[in-house]
Amino acid sequence: MTEHESVREMLALAAAGVLDAGEVRRIEQHARMCEACRAELEAWAAYTQGLRRLPQPPAPEGLLERTSARILQERTAAADHRHQALLLGALAIFGWMSSLAFWVLVRETTGGVLNGWAWWSASTALSWATAGTAALVLGRREMRRFL
Amino acid sequence: MLAATMSLEAFGTDREIALLKKRDPDAVSALVGRYQHRLYRFLVRMVQEPAAAEDLFQQTWIRLLEKIGSYDTRRNFEAWLFAIARNLAIDHLRRRRDLSLDETDDSGLAASERLRSGGPNVLDRLLDFERGEILAAAIAQLPVIHREALTLRFEEEMKLEQIAEVAGIPLSTVKSRLHRALESLRTKIEGNV
Repeated sequence: MTEHESVREMLALAAAGVLDAGEVRRIEQHARMCEACRAELEAWAAYTQGLRRLPQPPAPEGLLERTSARILQERTAAADHRHQALLLGALAIFGWMSSLAFWVLVRETTGGVLNGWAWWSASTALSWATAGTAALVLGRREMRRFL
Repeated sequence: MLAATMSLEAFGTDREIALLKKRDPDAVSALVGRYQHRLYRFLVRMVQEPAAAEDLFQQTWIRLLEKIGSYDTRRNFEAWLFAIARNLAIDHLRRRRDLSLDETDDSGLAASERLRSGGPNVLDRLLDFERGEILAAAIAQLPVIHREALTLRFEEEMKLEQIAEVAGIPLSTVKSRLHRALESLRTKIEGNV
């Protein structure tokens, strides 16, 4: 590739202002002697100047307010989600611990004579009570938000 | 003087980031306000639909606040912000029409056709060029990666390093992408004259 061809390849980027000082010097030196490259550089400069002055899409009226409102809405939803996750976690731990406590208590008071059917009934009742409490708490929160 | 101004701006940004990490509502509003025109313009250039650009603008700030806790203050804040916006815009374009990033976009054709038929004489064409309408219509037809390179360089006035950070590509790729974008733009415009 000749110097002329090599410089010509760089003219668009020179007009875009992204070449290093050495490359710019090289182009300037060549353009002083080469009318075709000088004209080409001017053409590219017209394009890049035009690109810096494009018609601007105006930001819509109220963009800032709508964005702030959406951020607030998302933050509230995220906080609710975190709260619900914490609550469910706490209820799961509570359910597990109360089952364990119930098992220890029954074992101590009956001397371990409770039969399988009684165990099943008692633990089912305990699970339903825990799930019912969770549904009640979460349902009341949702109802408050809805109202 | 310029250095002093830049350091003041950097200080302001650092302070704002600290407040952002605390989710300070005033700091969030101030930052959204500061970048609203530039970020919205960038998103309009990327997706070319004002309604989608607004939605992506809002999503960008929500995503930024989700990630601000892990933001490294040594990184360039603007590049980070625009990278978030850019990734959301690319995801949107992919979902919308299963678009390959280097495919030519046809959404600017209508404007280009209008310009071609609407300005029959040379003076009208020159005035359109002066107003940037021909350029804007031609840019709208370029592939999204070329539109991105042009808007980041010439409207956001980012350096190659910042563009590389926004687009997540090597510096050499930014350079060649910018070169190809300029060549394609010129071919489109001179092909229409």
